[in-house]
Amino acid sequence: MSRRIAIVEDEAAIRENYADVLRMQGYEVQTFANRKAAMLAFDIRLPNLAIIDIGLENEIDGGFTLCQALRSLSDTLPIIFLTARDNDFDTVSGLRMGADDYLTKDISLPHLTARIAALFRRQDVINQPPSPESLLHRGKLTLDIGRLTIQWDGQPVALTVTEFWMVHALAKYPGHVKSRQVLMQESKIFVDGSTITSHVKRIRKKFMLIDEEFDCIETVYGMGYRWNITPETHN
Amino acid sequence: MELSFRNPFGIRFKLVFLSSFLLVIPWLGYQYILEMEQVLRRGQEQTVLGTAQALATALNERPELFNEGSYTPARRSEDLYVYPIFSALSLDDGALTDWGEYQQYEVMFGDKDQLRTELNPSHYYGRDETLSFRTMVGEHNGSLYAYFKVVDDEIVYRSRDALSVHRSDFLEISMLSKEGNAINRYVVAPHEPEYLYAFRVADGYVNPIHEARISGQWYESNDGYEIELQIPMSMLGDRLGFAIFDVDDAERRYVNTVIATYRVADAERLGSLRLPTPEIDRIVAGMGHNNSRIQVVDRSGRVLLSVGDIQSATGLLLSSVSDETPVNKYWLYVQNKILNPLYYQFLTKPSNDFIDDLYSDVSREGSHINSALGGDAATQFRTLADSQTRLLEAAHPILANGEIMGAVVVDQNMNGLRTFRNQAMETLFNTMLAVMLVVTLGLFFSASRISSRIRGLRNQAEGIIGDTGRIQNTIVPTRSSDEIGDLSRSFSNIVERLTQYTNYLENMSSRLSHELRTPVTVVRSSLENLGLTANNHESAVYIERAEEGIKRLNLILTNMSEATRLEQMLQTSEKEKIDLSKVLPGCVEGYKLAYPDTKFDLDISQKEIFVNGVPEYIAQLLDKLIANAVEFSYADQSITVFCRALRDHATIKVSNAGPNLPQEMQDRLFESMISVRSQEKQDQPHLGMGLHIARLITEFHGGHIRADNRQDREGVVITVVIPLYYRKSG
Repeated sequence: MSRRIAIVEDEAAIRENYADVLRMQGYEVQTFANRKAAMLAFDIRLPNLAIIDIGLENEIDGGFTLCQALRSLSDTLPIIFLTARDNDFDTVSGLRMGADDYLTKDISLPHLTARIAALFRRQDVINQPPSPESLLHRGKLTLDIGRLTIQWDGQPVALTVTEFWMVHALAKYPGHVKSRQVLMQESKIFVDGSTITSHVKRIRKKFMLIDEEFDCIETVYGMGYRWNITPETHN
Repeated sequence: MELSFRNPFGIRFKLVFLSSFLLVIPWLGYQYILEMEQVLRRGQEQTVLGTAQALATALNERPELFNEGSYTPARRSEDLYVYPIFSALSLDDGALTDWGEYQQYEVMFGDKDQLRTELNPSHYYGRDETLSFRTMVGEHNGSLYAYFKVVDDEIVYRSRDALSVHRSDFLEISMLSKEGNAINRYVVAPHEPEYLYAFRVADGYVNPIHEARISGQWYESNDGYEIELQIPMSMLGDRLGFAIFDVDDAERRYVNTVIATYRVADAERLGSLRLPTPEIDRIVAGMGHNNSRIQVVDRSGRVLLSVGDIQSATGLLLSSVSDETPVNKYWLYVQNKILNPLYYQFLTKPSNDFIDDLYSDVSREGSHINSALGGDAATQFRTLADSQTRLLEAAHPILANGEIMGAVVVDQNMNGLRTFRNQAMETLFNTMLAVMLVVTLGLFFSASRISSRIRGLRNQAEGIIGDTGRIQNTIVPTRSSDEIGDLSRSFSNIVERLTQYTNYLENMSSRLSHELRTPVTVVRSSLENLGLTANNHESAVYIERAEEGIKRLNLILTNMSEATRLEQMLQTSEKEKIDLSKVLPGCVEGYKLAYPDTKFDLDISQKEIFVNGVPEYIAQLLDKLIANAVEFSYADQSITVFCRALRDHATIKVSNAGPNLPQEMQDRLFESMISVRSQEKQDQPHLGMGLHIARLITEFHGGHIRADNRQDREGVVITVVIPLYYRKSG
């Protein structure tokens, strides 16, 4: 059974381009131009994944509303925001709404499909036991590369796929400085440096929710970030 | 910037200056009062002249009042003029000082007045020039007073036992009896300087009989002797003569010389007495005019009568002015101590203690009197030299039988009028001062209000656009309905629209990038789709090129919205305490990797430079500065990053060696969309956002940024000054 992906996007050309690519990948694609049409369809049947634009026709925040509605229908449905809005505020809002990822339209199609595949994979393996070979241990950190999940000190950290890939890029070679450019490539997004900064901040916050002492991600000013395998002792 | 001339005079000054023209009003008032004074003076002149005329009319056609007798100008020297004396005289004081100023009217008799008598034989006549006397005759309180200052080289007194009274120095008094038919003669011949003892003598100086009514004193002086005497007026007829008999040889006791006030000792030719006439007195007193001095003079200008004194002859009744209601003592103090001294800088306040030199109680002169004696009434003003008193004098002729008998002279001093004028001036000045004070203050305050409102508006207008050339504030429109209110409202309107426009412009790049992103996405996704489906090798090349272009376009769009995105992020960022001496070296290490062809010098000597900030933004700021410096640096030249804590600021300097800044761009370098790059440098997209972002970050940290040309060599130094971390106490 092919997976069904819903694309809610008011710009017909983009919508169809994405749909074509995804169809080529073998997905079943439903396209909607506005929130109403999407909701009508979703009420009947939920897709396996939803790609939502924030601004929908005359609703500026229609995507957010739709995301909330979808999340209320299903807790596990992967939702991706794909929007031209690249500011921090919208990103944070989108992720708070329960979206699994927030992508700008700069993203290239291969990256998009990779991300979708990653999300599906994560969903597929979520109930299977972790295979030891796909696990990466760095101190208290445990990365499950197969499931795209992370645990800190045995507790799961709710990271998006983008964030997972960033942490993965950093933690794979602890002590190595990863520039913002590298992080962008590794996490398959195309944004400017400041967006990376805010991503890193958000990652730190998520870790610190679990462990207030967390300071493994060190900023190397002017160069990038690195993973500290031996955290400095605090006074 | 061209120099603009700044008018140093504000509205306030101008209004106050204009209000100074109000000073014309008191000047006009002053002129008006002066004019009024002229009118009053003329009125006073007429009044005085009227008084004189009325008196003269009353005295007209009464020649007997002047009692001319046989008076003729030819015999004038024989006449004894009896001057009215207004103070009591002392006879036994041994001096003439109590005669005071009356002495100036004494008459000199000397050599030419020698008289031949039965006592001095003819061969002595005209030989003695050592004898002379001066005399003065006055009348006071019903008595005739006279004194004689006799110059005599040899005083011979009557011997103690002599019965005769004519064999020594003596004074002979000849007078027509009251009945007018005979001459009575009295002799004063003392034994020594003593109280006068007068004898009435018969012809030949025989039968001396003591006459007690004549009293007086004889005393010696430096060059002779002096006699003061008093004769009751009741003794006197209307003719009188005095003669001094001089004896120089104490042994033989012959009379050498006689000097007399008359020529011939008979009843007809004795000098006549000029006496004030009680008739005139009554008439003048009947005028009841006590606000002027009234004098009647005869044809020769001698004063026959004087009523009133000139000091109190103000011509005006001033009593009504003086009884003012009791005034506030503070006001009185102000009036007396401050205002009056000021006013009397230019107002004259003549005192009433003046002395009229010219004017005696004896004779009067002056053009008005001359004119009156010539037949025409006249007035004149005279200013006394010592005080500033002005006198108004009017003279009117008295006629009798078509002949001018004399004149009535009425004098008033102008002090009353002057005082009246001064009081009017004081009132005027006080009122004017008050009015001008109120008006000037009012003008000043209203001008201050206007000027402060305009200044407020100007400050608001200046505050609209900050140092960075951006609209920061707006103008709060006032509700007042006047022109300034209108101005304020229209300013507010303009600023509002300007703000909208500026906002539109400022947001244009981010809006543009946002709007462009969708078509770019369409193009890119289409190209990618094309790339995925196309298997033609040739078309793949073009697709690749198109994707390259799209990538660049995307970069431009990202750069365009970078500043806006940064501003939004800055709003939500929280500052922390960071150490620049740690942040900067890290960054510089990164730049060494990023720009392997460029050499970086780090100049940080201090261990800790704490500022309150966000390290990522500081790094971003430095990124922009370094990128800029690298781009404009000559090859093989190092870029210096300098950081010091100076007093309460941290100073970061990034200097490169390269072309200098264009002069005209120096101020605008940090504005959005400003670039000084030359065209050949444009190998990658530049929107002039780099330094704009640097400025945004600097301002976020409460600092400022500026670009200068290097002093030591060709190159540019960009200086960022950020306040040091300040730990709040506690």
